[in-house]
Amino acid sequence: MAKISFHEITKQYPGTSTPAVNAVSFDVAEGSTCMLVGTSGSGKTTLLRMVNRLIEPTSGEIVIDGKNVLQENPIALRRRIGYVIQQVGLFPHLNIAENVRVTAEIAGGWTKQRLDERVDELLELVGLPPAEYRKRFPRQLSGGQQQRVGLARALATDPAIMLMDEPFGALDAITRERMQNELLRIQRDVQKTILFVSHDIQEAFKLGEQIAVLDQGKLIQLGTPVDLLAQPANDFVRKLVGGDSILRQLEYLPVIDALENEPETVSSPPWGNVPTILSDATLLQAMLKLLETNAPALAVQDKDTQEKLGFITLASINREITHAHGHKTERTETAI
Amino acid sequence: MNYLLQPYNYDLSDPASIPNLFLDHLYLVGVTMLISLIIALPLGILVARRPRLYLLVITIADLLYTIPALALIGVLITITRLSLATAIIPLVIYTQLVLIRNTATAINGIDPLLLEVGKAMGMNARQVLLRVALPQALPTIIAGVRIATVTTIGIASLAYLAGQSGLGDLIFKNIVTRDFDAVAAGGILIALLAVVADLLLLAVQTVLNRGRTSVSLA
Repeated sequence: MAKISFHEITKQYPGTSTPAVNAVSFDVAEGSTCMLVGTSGSGKTTLLRMVNRLIEPTSGEIVIDGKNVLQENPIALRRRIGYVIQQVGLFPHLNIAENVRVTAEIAGGWTKQRLDERVDELLELVGLPPAEYRKRFPRQLSGGQQQRVGLARALATDPAIMLMDEPFGALDAITRERMQNELLRIQRDVQKTILFVSHDIQEAFKLGEQIAVLDQGKLIQLGTPVDLLAQPANDFVRKLVGGDSILRQLEYLPVIDALENEPETVSSPPWGNVPTILSDATLLQAMLKLLETNAPALAVQDKDTQEKLGFITLASINREITHAHGHKTERTETAI
Repeated sequence: MNYLLQPYNYDLSDPASIPNLFLDHLYLVGVTMLISLIIALPLGILVARRPRLYLLVITIADLLYTIPALALIGVLITITRLSLATAIIPLVIYTQLVLIRNTATAINGIDPLLLEVGKAMGMNARQVLLRVALPQALPTIIAGVRIATVTTIGIASLAYLAGQSGLGDLIFKNIVTRDFDAVAAGGILIALLAVVADLLLLAVQTVLNRGRTSVSLA
Protein backbone atom coordinates (compact mmCIF):
# COMPACT_ATOMS: atom_id res chain seq x y z
CA MET A 1 0.00 0.00 0.00
CA ALA A 2 1.38 3.37 -0.88
CA LYS A 3 0.12 6.89 -1.12
CA ILE A 4 0.77 8.72 -4.38
CA SER A 5 0.84 12.52 -4.55
CA PHE A 6 1.08 14.60 -7.67
CA HIS A 7 2.39 18.16 -7.16
CA GLU A 8 2.02 20.50 -10.14
CA ILE A 9 3.18 17.74 -12.44
CA THR A 10 3.71 18.96 -15.99
CA LYS A 11 4.86 17.43 -19.24
CA GLN A 12 5.52 19.58 -22.25
CA TYR A 13 6.93 18.06 -25.40
CA PRO A 14 9.36 20.31 -27.27
CA GLY A 15 7.75 22.10 -30.17
CA THR A 16 4.20 21.93 -28.80
CA SER A 17 2.24 24.94 -27.67
CA THR A 18 0.27 23.36 -24.85
CA PRO A 19 1.57 20.90 -22.29
CA ALA A 20 0.37 17.32 -22.52
CA VAL A 21 -0.05 17.37 -18.75
CA ASN A 22 -0.56 20.77 -17.20
CA ALA A 23 0.26 21.34 -13.52
CA VAL A 24 -1.82 18.47 -12.22
CA SER A 25 -2.00 18.05 -8.46
CA PHE A 26 -3.91 15.49 -6.44
CA ASP A 27 -3.46 12.65 -4.01
CA VAL A 28 -4.28 9.01 -4.26
CA ALA A 29 -4.98 7.40 -0.92
CA GLU A 30 -3.29 4.17 0.10
CA GLY A 31 -5.07 1.05 -1.02
CA SER A 32 -7.59 2.93 -3.13
CA THR A 33 -8.40 2.75 -6.82
CA CYS A 34 -8.15 6.06 -8.64
CA MET A 35 -9.49 6.22 -12.18
CA LEU A 36 -7.98 8.66 -14.68
CA VAL A 37 -10.62 9.53 -17.24
CA GLY A 38 -10.86 11.89 -20.14
CA THR A 39 -11.06 11.93 -23.90
CA SER A 40 -8.18 10.97 -26.17
CA GLY A 41 -5.28 13.34 -25.76
CA SER A 42 -6.36 14.47 -22.33
CA GLY A 43 -3.01 13.47 -20.85
CA LYS A 44 -4.24 10.59 -18.74
CA THR A 45 -1.84 8.00 -20.16
CA THR A 46 1.02 10.50 -20.09
CA LEU A 47 0.31 11.18 -16.43
CA LEU A 48 0.24 7.47 -15.66
CA ARG A 49 3.53 6.82 -17.39
CA MET A 50 5.24 9.53 -15.40
CA VAL A 51 4.63 7.59 -12.21
CA ASN A 52 7.05 4.87 -13.28
CA ARG A 53 9.10 7.33 -15.29
CA LEU A 54 8.58 5.79 -18.66
CA ILE A 55 8.01 9.44 -19.43
CA GLU A 56 10.02 12.01 -17.52
CA PRO A 57 8.11 15.04 -16.20
CA THR A 58 9.12 18.48 -17.39
CA SER A 59 8.41 19.94 -13.96
CA GLY A 60 6.61 19.13 -10.75
CA GLU A 61 6.91 16.19 -8.42
CA ILE A 62 5.43 12.79 -7.92
CA VAL A 63 5.79 11.66 -4.35
CA ILE A 64 5.26 8.07 -3.30
CA ASP A 65 5.15 7.54 0.46
CA GLY A 66 7.05 10.73 1.05
CA LYS A 67 9.79 10.01 -1.49
CA ASN A 68 10.07 11.99 -4.71
CA VAL A 69 10.23 9.47 -7.53
CA LEU A 70 12.48 11.76 -9.55
CA GLN A 71 15.19 11.26 -6.99
CA GLU A 72 14.97 7.53 -7.05
CA ASN A 73 16.76 5.24 -9.47
CA PRO A 74 14.16 4.61 -12.20
CA ILE A 75 14.98 0.93 -12.50
CA ALA A 76 14.55 0.32 -8.78
CA LEU A 77 11.31 2.32 -8.93
CA ARG A 78 9.90 0.26 -11.77
CA ARG A 79 10.71 -2.99 -10.02
CA ARG A 80 8.27 -2.13 -7.30
CA ILE A 81 5.43 -0.92 -9.50
CA GLY A 82 3.14 -3.25 -11.44
CA TYR A 83 2.30 -2.19 -15.00
CA VAL A 84 -0.55 -3.55 -17.13
CA ILE A 85 -1.24 -2.28 -20.63
CA GLN A 86 -3.99 -2.71 -23.17
CA GLN A 87 -1.95 -4.79 -25.59
CA VAL A 88 -0.80 -7.05 -22.75
CA GLY A 89 2.73 -7.54 -24.10
CA LEU A 90 3.48 -11.10 -23.04
CA PHE A 91 6.81 -12.42 -24.29
CA PRO A 92 6.06 -14.86 -27.09
CA HIS A 93 9.15 -16.97 -26.58
CA LEU A 94 8.29 -17.74 -22.95
CA ASN A 95 5.55 -19.99 -21.69
CA ILE A 96 2.91 -18.72 -19.27
CA ALA A 97 4.78 -19.69 -16.12
CA GLU A 98 7.95 -18.02 -17.36
CA ASN A 99 6.01 -14.93 -18.36
CA VAL A 100 4.38 -14.61 -14.96
CA ARG A 101 7.59 -14.89 -13.04
CA VAL A 102 9.77 -12.62 -15.16
CA THR A 103 8.93 -9.59 -13.00
CA ALA A 104 9.91 -11.51 -9.88
CA GLU A 105 13.12 -12.70 -11.55
CA ILE A 106 14.04 -9.12 -12.46
CA ALA A 107 13.30 -7.88 -8.96
CA GLY A 108 15.49 -10.64 -7.58
CA GLY A 109 15.64 -12.49 -4.33
CA TRP A 110 13.38 -15.41 -5.17
CA THR A 111 14.39 -19.05 -4.97
CA LYS A 112 13.31 -21.37 -7.74
CA GLN A 113 10.87 -23.16 -5.51
CA ARG A 114 9.36 -19.94 -4.24
CA LEU A 115 8.98 -18.75 -7.85
CA ASP A 116 7.13 -21.91 -8.83
CA GLU A 117 4.80 -21.57 -5.87
CA ARG A 118 4.20 -17.91 -6.60
CA VAL A 119 3.34 -18.65 -10.25
CA ASP A 120 0.75 -21.21 -9.24
CA GLU A 121 -0.65 -18.89 -6.59
CA LEU A 122 -1.04 -16.06 -9.09
CA LEU A 123 -2.54 -18.19 -11.85
CA GLU A 124 -5.15 -19.40 -9.37
CA LEU A 125 -5.79 -15.82 -8.31
CA VAL A 126 -6.53 -14.67 -11.85
CA GLY A 127 -8.69 -17.69 -12.58
CA LEU A 128 -6.38 -19.78 -14.77
CA PRO A 129 -5.83 -23.31 -13.38
CA PRO A 130 -2.04 -23.66 -13.15
CA ALA A 131 -1.82 -27.29 -14.20
CA GLU A 132 -3.55 -26.44 -17.45
CA TYR A 133 -1.96 -23.11 -18.29
CA ARG A 134 1.56 -23.20 -16.90
CA LYS A 135 3.22 -24.71 -19.95
CA ARG A 136 1.14 -23.06 -22.63
CA PHE A 137 2.38 -20.25 -24.80
CA PRO A 138 0.78 -16.82 -25.19
CA ARG A 139 -0.32 -17.39 -28.76
CA GLN A 140 -2.45 -20.30 -27.58
CA LEU A 141 -4.48 -18.07 -25.27
CA SER A 142 -7.43 -15.80 -25.99
CA GLY A 143 -7.22 -12.06 -25.42
CA GLY A 144 -8.96 -12.28 -22.07
CA GLN A 145 -6.73 -15.08 -20.89
CA GLN A 146 -3.62 -13.22 -22.01
CA GLN A 147 -4.68 -10.17 -20.06
CA ARG A 148 -5.23 -12.32 -16.97
CA VAL A 149 -1.64 -13.52 -17.36
CA GLY A 150 -0.56 -9.89 -17.79
CA LEU A 151 -2.30 -9.07 -14.53
CA ALA A 152 -0.68 -12.05 -12.79
CA ARG A 153 2.71 -10.93 -14.05
CA ALA A 154 2.20 -7.44 -12.67
CA LEU A 155 1.14 -8.85 -9.32
CA ALA A 156 4.06 -11.28 -9.07
CA THR A 157 6.28 -9.07 -6.93
CA ASP A 158 3.31 -7.97 -4.81
CA PRO A 159 3.90 -4.32 -5.64
CA ALA A 160 2.25 -1.65 -3.55
CA ILE A 161 1.24 0.28 -6.65
CA MET A 162 -0.37 -0.89 -9.87
CA LEU A 163 -0.51 1.23 -13.01
CA MET A 164 -3.13 0.07 -15.46
CA ASP A 165 -3.53 1.65 -18.89
CA GLU A 166 -6.89 0.70 -20.40
CA PRO A 167 -6.11 -2.95 -19.66
CA PHE A 168 -9.54 -4.22 -20.69
CA GLY A 169 -9.95 -1.95 -23.70
CA ALA A 170 -9.15 -4.61 -26.27
CA LEU A 171 -11.58 -7.16 -24.88
CA ASP A 172 -15.18 -7.81 -25.84
CA ALA A 173 -17.92 -6.50 -23.56
CA ILE A 174 -18.61 -9.79 -21.82
CA THR A 175 -14.97 -10.57 -21.11
CA ARG A 176 -14.37 -6.97 -20.07
CA GLU A 177 -17.12 -7.19 -17.46
CA ARG A 178 -15.75 -10.46 -16.20
CA MET A 179 -12.27 -8.98 -15.90
CA GLN A 180 -13.60 -5.91 -14.10
CA ASN A 181 -15.29 -8.19 -11.58
CA GLU A 182 -12.08 -10.17 -11.21
CA LEU A 183 -10.19 -6.97 -10.50
CA LEU A 184 -12.72 -5.93 -7.87
CA ARG A 185 -12.45 -9.34 -6.28
CA ILE A 186 -8.65 -9.29 -6.32
CA GLN A 187 -8.56 -5.77 -4.95
CA ARG A 188 -10.71 -6.89 -2.04
CA ASP A 189 -7.97 -9.38 -1.18
CA VAL A 190 -4.82 -7.41 -1.91
CA GLN A 191 -5.78 -3.77 -1.43
CA LYS A 192 -3.25 -2.19 -3.75
CA THR A 193 -3.03 1.46 -4.66
CA ILE A 194 -4.24 1.41 -8.25
CA LEU A 195 -4.07 4.14 -10.88
CA PHE A 196 -6.30 3.07 -13.75
CA VAL A 197 -6.63 4.93 -17.04
CA SER A 198 -9.95 4.49 -18.78
CA HIS A 199 -11.89 6.27 -21.47
CA ASP A 200 -15.04 4.39 -20.41
CA ILE A 201 -16.94 6.30 -17.75
CA GLN A 202 -19.01 3.28 -16.79
CA GLU A 203 -15.86 1.34 -16.06
CA ALA A 204 -14.57 4.27 -14.04
CA PHE A 205 -17.71 4.36 -11.93
CA LYS A 206 -17.66 0.65 -11.41
CA LEU A 207 -14.03 0.28 -10.40
CA GLY A 208 -13.02 3.62 -8.96
CA GLU A 209 -13.30 4.96 -5.46
CA GLN A 210 -11.97 8.23 -6.76
CA ILE A 211 -12.10 9.61 -10.27
CA ALA A 212 -9.78 12.24 -11.75
CA VAL A 213 -11.21 13.87 -14.85
CA LEU A 214 -8.62 15.28 -17.22
CA ASP A 215 -9.16 17.49 -20.24
CA GLN A 216 -6.33 18.77 -22.41
CA GLY A 217 -3.78 18.06 -19.74
CA LYS A 218 -5.58 19.79 -16.90
CA LEU A 219 -7.27 18.21 -13.91
CA ILE A 220 -10.89 19.31 -14.16
CA GLN A 221 -12.45 17.48 -11.28
CA LEU A 222 -11.50 14.97 -8.66
CA GLY A 223 -14.17 13.09 -6.75
CA THR A 224 -16.27 10.04 -6.11
CA PRO A 225 -18.76 8.86 -8.73
CA VAL A 226 -21.53 10.61 -6.82
CA ASP A 227 -19.58 13.86 -6.71
CA LEU A 228 -19.19 13.79 -10.47
CA LEU A 229 -22.81 12.94 -11.04
CA ALA A 230 -24.28 15.36 -8.56
CA GLN A 231 -21.90 18.27 -8.93
CA PRO A 232 -20.07 18.19 -12.24
CA ALA A 233 -17.49 20.98 -12.35
CA ASN A 234 -18.33 22.04 -15.86
CA ASP A 235 -20.14 21.05 -19.03
CA PHE A 236 -17.29 18.81 -20.08
CA VAL A 237 -17.69 16.68 -16.96
CA ARG A 238 -21.45 16.80 -17.23
CA LYS A 239 -21.29 15.47 -20.78
CA LEU A 240 -18.66 12.92 -19.85
CA VAL A 241 -20.66 11.33 -17.07
CA GLY A 242 -23.80 11.16 -19.14
CA GLY A 243 -27.20 12.84 -19.37
CA ASP A 244 -29.35 10.70 -17.09
CA SER A 245 -27.25 11.54 -14.09
CA ILE A 246 -30.08 11.52 -11.57
CA LEU A 247 -30.82 7.90 -12.26
CA ARG A 248 -27.14 7.04 -12.03
CA GLN A 249 -26.81 8.81 -8.72
CA LEU A 250 -29.45 6.51 -7.33
CA GLU A 251 -27.22 3.63 -8.24
CA TYR A 252 -24.43 4.90 -6.07
CA LEU A 253 -26.23 6.19 -3.00
CA PRO A 254 -26.93 3.67 -0.28
CA VAL A 255 -30.38 3.42 1.30
CA ILE A 256 -29.13 4.26 4.75
CA ASP A 257 -28.47 7.81 3.56
CA ALA A 258 -32.18 8.36 2.97
CA LEU A 259 -33.67 6.92 6.10
CA GLU A 260 -36.63 8.45 7.76
CA ASN A 261 -35.75 7.60 11.26
CA GLU A 262 -37.52 9.95 13.55
CA PRO A 263 -38.33 7.93 16.65
CA GLU A 264 -42.11 8.04 16.36
CA THR A 265 -42.10 6.77 12.78
CA VAL A 266 -39.86 3.84 13.67
CA SER A 267 -41.89 2.60 16.60
CA SER A 268 -45.37 3.23 15.24
CA PRO A 269 -45.31 3.41 11.49
CA PRO A 270 -48.37 4.97 9.92
CA TRP A 271 -48.39 2.54 7.05
CA GLY A 272 -48.66 -0.80 8.79
CA ASN A 273 -46.63 -3.63 7.31
CA VAL A 274 -44.40 -2.67 4.45
CA PRO A 275 -41.90 -4.66 2.39
CA THR A 276 -38.33 -4.70 3.61
CA ILE A 277 -35.09 -3.91 1.94
CA LEU A 278 -31.58 -4.67 3.17
CA SER A 279 -29.26 -1.94 4.35
CA ASP A 280 -26.63 -2.60 1.69
CA ALA A 281 -29.06 -1.82 -1.13
CA THR A 282 -28.79 1.29 -3.28
CA LEU A 283 -31.42 3.99 -3.66
CA LEU A 284 -32.08 2.71 -7.16
CA GLN A 285 -33.00 -0.71 -5.84
CA ALA A 286 -35.21 0.94 -3.21
CA MET A 287 -37.00 3.02 -5.80
CA LEU A 288 -37.54 0.03 -8.04
CA LYS A 289 -38.93 -1.97 -5.15
CA LEU A 290 -41.29 0.85 -4.26
CA LEU A 291 -42.52 0.87 -7.85
CA GLU A 292 -42.79 -2.89 -7.93
CA THR A 293 -44.73 -3.27 -4.69
CA ASN A 294 -46.64 0.02 -4.89
CA ALA A 295 -45.96 0.36 -1.17
CA PRO A 296 -45.92 3.76 0.52
CA ALA A 297 -42.58 2.97 2.17
CA LEU A 298 -39.96 0.29 2.65
CA ALA A 299 -38.56 -0.88 5.96
CA VAL A 300 -34.77 -0.89 5.96
CA GLN A 301 -33.34 -3.89 7.70
CA ASP A 302 -29.72 -4.18 8.79
CA LYS A 303 -27.98 -6.75 6.57
CA ASP A 304 -26.32 -8.58 9.46
CA THR A 305 -28.43 -8.02 12.56
CA GLN A 306 -31.90 -7.92 10.92
CA GLU A 307 -32.61 -4.93 13.10
CA LYS A 308 -35.05 -2.38 11.72
CA LEU A 309 -33.11 0.78 11.03
CA GLY A 310 -35.85 2.99 9.63
CA PHE A 311 -38.00 3.60 6.65
CA ILE A 312 -37.54 4.92 3.19
CA THR A 313 -40.10 6.73 1.06
CA LEU A 314 -40.13 8.45 -2.31
CA ALA A 315 -40.01 11.71 -0.46
CA SER A 316 -36.91 10.74 1.45
CA ILE A 317 -35.26 9.62 -1.78
CA ASN A 318 -36.11 12.95 -3.36
CA ARG A 319 -34.67 14.73 -0.37
CA GLU A 320 -31.46 12.80 -0.65
CA ILE A 321 -30.98 13.59 -4.33
CA THR A 322 -31.71 17.26 -3.98
CA HIS A 323 -29.51 17.36 -0.92
CA ALA A 324 -26.69 15.81 -2.92
CA HIS A 325 -27.18 18.52 -5.52
CA GLY A 326 -26.33 21.01 -2.83
CA HIS A 327 -29.74 22.59 -2.79
CA LYS A 328 -31.35 23.34 0.49
CA THR A 329 -34.93 22.16 0.55
CA GLU A 330 -37.73 22.20 3.10
CA ARG A 331 -38.23 18.87 4.69
CA THR A 332 -41.44 17.64 3.17
CA GLU A 333 -43.91 16.29 5.63
CA THR A 334 -44.69 12.67 5.44
CA ALA A 335 -48.26 12.12 4.47
CA ILE A 336 -50.31 10.36 7.03
CA MET B 1 30.67 -44.72 -55.19
CA ASN B 2 33.48 -47.17 -54.91
CA TYR B 3 35.81 -44.33 -54.22
CA LEU B 4 34.09 -43.72 -50.95
CA LEU B 5 34.57 -47.30 -49.92
CA GLN B 6 38.27 -47.66 -50.61
CA PRO B 7 40.14 -47.58 -47.31
CA TYR B 8 43.22 -46.02 -48.85
CA ASN B 9 41.25 -42.91 -49.48
CA TYR B 10 40.93 -42.41 -45.76
CA ASP B 11 44.64 -42.35 -45.02
CA LEU B 12 45.05 -39.37 -42.71
CA SER B 13 48.64 -38.77 -43.62
CA ASP B 14 47.66 -38.17 -47.22
CA PRO B 15 46.59 -34.57 -47.76
CA ALA B 16 44.37 -35.64 -50.62
CA SER B 17 42.48 -38.20 -48.56
CA ILE B 18 38.79 -37.78 -47.91
CA PRO B 19 39.00 -36.85 -44.23
CA ASN B 20 41.66 -34.22 -44.90
CA LEU B 21 39.81 -32.71 -47.82
CA PHE B 22 36.70 -32.73 -45.68
CA LEU B 23 38.49 -30.85 -42.93
CA ASP B 24 39.96 -28.41 -45.41
CA HIS B 25 36.49 -27.75 -46.75
CA LEU B 26 35.19 -27.19 -43.24
CA TYR B 27 38.08 -24.83 -42.61
CA LEU B 28 37.15 -22.78 -45.67
CA VAL B 29 33.52 -22.63 -44.61
CA GLY B 30 34.41 -21.85 -41.00
CA VAL B 31 36.76 -18.99 -41.83
CA THR B 32 34.27 -17.60 -44.34
CA MET B 33 31.36 -17.65 -41.92
CA LEU B 34 33.41 -16.08 -39.14
CA ILE B 35 34.58 -13.17 -41.31
CA SER B 36 31.12 -12.86 -42.87
CA LEU B 37 29.42 -12.50 -39.51
CA ILE B 38 31.98 -10.02 -38.26
CA ILE B 39 31.17 -7.85 -41.27
CA ALA B 40 27.46 -8.50 -41.74
CA LEU B 41 26.14 -8.42 -38.18
CA PRO B 42 27.30 -4.89 -37.36
CA LEU B 43 26.26 -3.73 -40.83
CA GLY B 44 22.85 -5.28 -40.39
CA ILE B 45 22.43 -3.60 -37.02
CA LEU B 46 23.58 -0.30 -38.51
CA VAL B 47 21.17 -0.26 -41.41
CA ALA B 48 18.25 -1.79 -39.55
CA ARG B 49 16.28 1.33 -38.77
CA ARG B 50 17.72 3.50 -41.52
CA PRO B 51 15.77 2.76 -44.72
CA ARG B 52 17.89 4.81 -47.11
CA LEU B 53 21.17 3.42 -45.85
CA TYR B 54 19.66 -0.06 -45.90
CA LEU B 55 18.68 0.35 -49.54
CA LEU B 56 22.18 1.45 -50.45
CA VAL B 57 23.95 -1.35 -48.63
CA ILE B 58 21.57 -4.07 -49.83
CA THR B 59 21.84 -2.87 -53.41
CA ILE B 60 25.62 -3.10 -53.27
CA ALA B 61 25.48 -6.55 -51.68
CA ASP B 62 23.01 -7.64 -54.30
CA LEU B 63 25.15 -6.40 -57.18
CA LEU B 64 28.18 -8.20 -55.80
CA TYR B 65 26.08 -11.33 -55.40
CA THR B 66 25.22 -11.34 -59.10
CA ILE B 67 28.87 -11.60 -60.15
CA PRO B 68 29.41 -15.29 -60.98
CA ALA B 69 31.80 -17.02 -58.59
CA LEU B 70 34.00 -18.30 -61.33
CA ALA B 71 34.37 -14.85 -62.81
CA LEU B 72 35.24 -13.30 -59.50
CA ILE B 73 37.84 -15.94 -58.74
CA GLY B 74 39.30 -15.46 -62.18
CA VAL B 75 39.67 -11.71 -61.66
CA LEU B 76 41.02 -12.10 -58.15
CA ILE B 77 43.73 -14.51 -59.23
CA THR B 78 45.33 -11.66 -61.11
CA ILE B 79 45.35 -9.58 -57.94
CA THR B 80 45.76 -11.94 -55.03
CA ARG B 81 47.30 -14.89 -56.87
CA LEU B 82 46.61 -18.44 -55.75
CA SER B 83 46.02 -17.85 -52.06
CA LEU B 84 43.50 -18.36 -49.34
CA ALA B 85 42.32 -14.79 -49.89
CA THR B 86 41.33 -15.53 -53.46
CA ALA B 87 39.01 -18.23 -52.20
CA ILE B 88 37.72 -16.50 -49.09
CA ILE B 89 36.94 -13.10 -50.59
CA PRO B 90 34.26 -14.29 -53.00
CA LEU B 91 32.83 -16.64 -50.41
CA VAL B 92 32.45 -13.82 -47.91
CA ILE B 93 30.96 -11.51 -50.53
CA TYR B 94 28.28 -14.01 -51.45
CA THR B 95 27.06 -14.38 -47.89
CA GLN B 96 26.63 -10.67 -47.27
CA LEU B 97 23.33 -10.18 -49.03
CA VAL B 98 21.40 -12.75 -47.03
CA LEU B 99 23.16 -12.05 -43.74
CA ILE B 100 22.71 -8.28 -43.82
CA ARG B 101 19.13 -8.56 -45.00
CA ASN B 102 18.18 -11.10 -42.36
CA THR B 103 19.93 -9.23 -39.56
CA ALA B 104 18.22 -5.96 -40.47
CA THR B 105 14.85 -7.70 -40.77
CA ALA B 106 15.42 -9.39 -37.43
CA ILE B 107 16.11 -6.12 -35.71
CA ASN B 108 13.24 -4.34 -37.38
CA GLY B 109 11.03 -7.17 -36.24
CA ILE B 110 11.73 -6.60 -32.57
CA ASP B 111 8.45 -5.36 -31.14
CA PRO B 112 9.00 -1.95 -29.49
CA LEU B 113 6.04 -2.67 -27.25
CA LEU B 114 7.82 -5.63 -25.74
CA LEU B 115 10.97 -3.58 -25.25
CA GLU B 116 8.90 -1.05 -23.33
CA VAL B 117 7.20 -3.73 -21.29
CA GLY B 118 10.65 -5.02 -20.35
CA LYS B 119 11.76 -1.53 -19.41
CA ALA B 120 8.60 -0.95 -17.38
CA MET B 121 9.32 -4.06 -15.32
CA GLY B 122 12.61 -2.54 -14.29
CA MET B 123 14.94 -4.38 -16.67
CA ASN B 124 18.27 -2.71 -17.18
CA ALA B 125 19.70 -2.40 -20.69
CA ARG B 126 21.50 -5.74 -20.54
CA GLN B 127 18.39 -7.56 -19.38
CA VAL B 128 16.29 -5.98 -22.11
CA LEU B 129 18.87 -7.10 -24.68
CA LEU B 130 19.23 -10.66 -23.43
CA ARG B 131 15.66 -11.35 -22.35
CA VAL B 132 13.62 -9.42 -24.90
CA ALA B 133 15.55 -8.19 -27.94
CA LEU B 134 17.80 -11.15 -28.66
CA PRO B 135 15.17 -13.88 -28.29
CA GLN B 136 13.05 -12.03 -30.81
CA ALA B 137 15.87 -11.35 -33.29
CA LEU B 138 17.81 -14.59 -33.12
CA PRO B 139 15.52 -16.92 -35.05
CA THR B 140 15.63 -14.70 -38.14
CA ILE B 141 19.36 -14.16 -37.85
CA ILE B 142 19.98 -17.90 -37.58
CA ALA B 143 17.75 -18.43 -40.61
CA GLY B 144 20.14 -16.18 -42.53
CA VAL B 145 23.18 -17.99 -41.17
CA ARG B 146 21.65 -21.25 -42.29
CA ILE B 147 21.17 -20.10 -45.87
CA ALA B 148 24.62 -18.50 -45.94
CA THR B 149 26.33 -21.63 -44.60
CA VAL B 150 24.68 -23.96 -47.08
CA THR B 151 25.51 -21.61 -49.96
CA THR B 152 29.12 -21.33 -48.82
CA ILE B 153 29.50 -25.09 -48.60
CA GLY B 154 28.47 -25.27 -52.22
CA ILE B 155 30.58 -22.43 -53.61
CA ALA B 156 33.60 -23.52 -51.57
CA SER B 157 33.96 -26.40 -54.00
CA LEU B 158 35.42 -23.83 -56.39
CA ALA B 159 38.25 -23.13 -53.98
CA TYR B 160 40.33 -25.59 -55.96
CA LEU B 161 40.57 -23.02 -58.70
CA ALA B 162 42.22 -20.67 -56.27
CA GLY B 163 44.69 -23.34 -55.33
CA GLN B 164 43.00 -24.18 -52.02
CA SER B 165 42.15 -27.73 -51.10
CA GLY B 166 38.67 -28.82 -50.25
CA LEU B 167 36.09 -31.36 -51.34
CA GLY B 168 36.08 -29.60 -54.72
CA ASP B 169 39.43 -31.24 -55.38
CA LEU B 170 37.69 -34.58 -55.73
CA ILE B 171 35.69 -33.16 -58.59
CA PHE B 172 38.20 -31.04 -60.46
CA LYS B 173 41.28 -33.22 -60.19
CA ASN B 174 39.41 -36.34 -61.20
CA ILE B 175 37.52 -34.93 -64.14
CA VAL B 176 40.86 -34.51 -65.86
CA THR B 177 41.91 -38.08 -65.09
CA ARG B 178 38.41 -39.26 -65.98
CA ASP B 179 37.95 -41.02 -62.60
CA PHE B 180 34.22 -40.40 -62.53
CA ASP B 181 33.85 -42.57 -59.49
CA ALA B 182 35.88 -40.04 -57.53
CA VAL B 183 34.03 -37.14 -59.11
CA ALA B 184 30.73 -38.62 -57.99
CA ALA B 185 32.15 -39.19 -54.54
CA GLY B 186 33.09 -35.51 -54.36
CA GLY B 187 29.64 -34.45 -55.38
CA ILE B 188 27.97 -36.74 -52.88
CA LEU B 189 30.15 -35.59 -50.02
CA ILE B 190 29.57 -31.90 -50.69
CA ALA B 191 25.84 -32.43 -50.95
CA LEU B 192 25.86 -34.49 -47.76
CA LEU B 193 27.78 -31.83 -45.90
CA ALA B 194 25.34 -29.17 -47.07
CA VAL B 195 22.29 -31.18 -46.03
CA VAL B 196 23.68 -32.09 -42.62
CA ALA B 197 24.67 -28.46 -41.94
CA ASP B 198 21.21 -27.32 -43.00
CA LEU B 199 19.48 -29.80 -40.72
CA LEU B 200 21.67 -28.93 -37.76
CA LEU B 201 20.98 -25.22 -38.17
CA LEU B 202 17.31 -25.97 -38.70
CA ALA B 203 17.32 -27.71 -35.33
CA VAL B 204 18.93 -24.64 -33.73
CA GLN B 205 16.36 -22.41 -35.40
CA THR B 206 13.49 -24.56 -34.20
CA VAL B 207 14.71 -24.48 -30.62
CA LEU B 208 15.09 -20.70 -30.76
CA ASN B 209 11.64 -20.34 -32.28
CA ARG B 210 10.03 -21.68 -29.14
CA GLY B 211 6.47 -20.66 -28.65
CA ARG B 212 5.97 -19.23 -32.08
CA THR B 213 4.09 -20.71 -34.99
CA SER B 214 6.41 -21.07 -37.92
CA VAL B 215 10.09 -21.14 -38.61
CA SER B 216 10.77 -18.11 -40.76
CA LEU B 217 13.27 -17.87 -43.55
CA ALA B 218 13.68 -14.11 -43.69
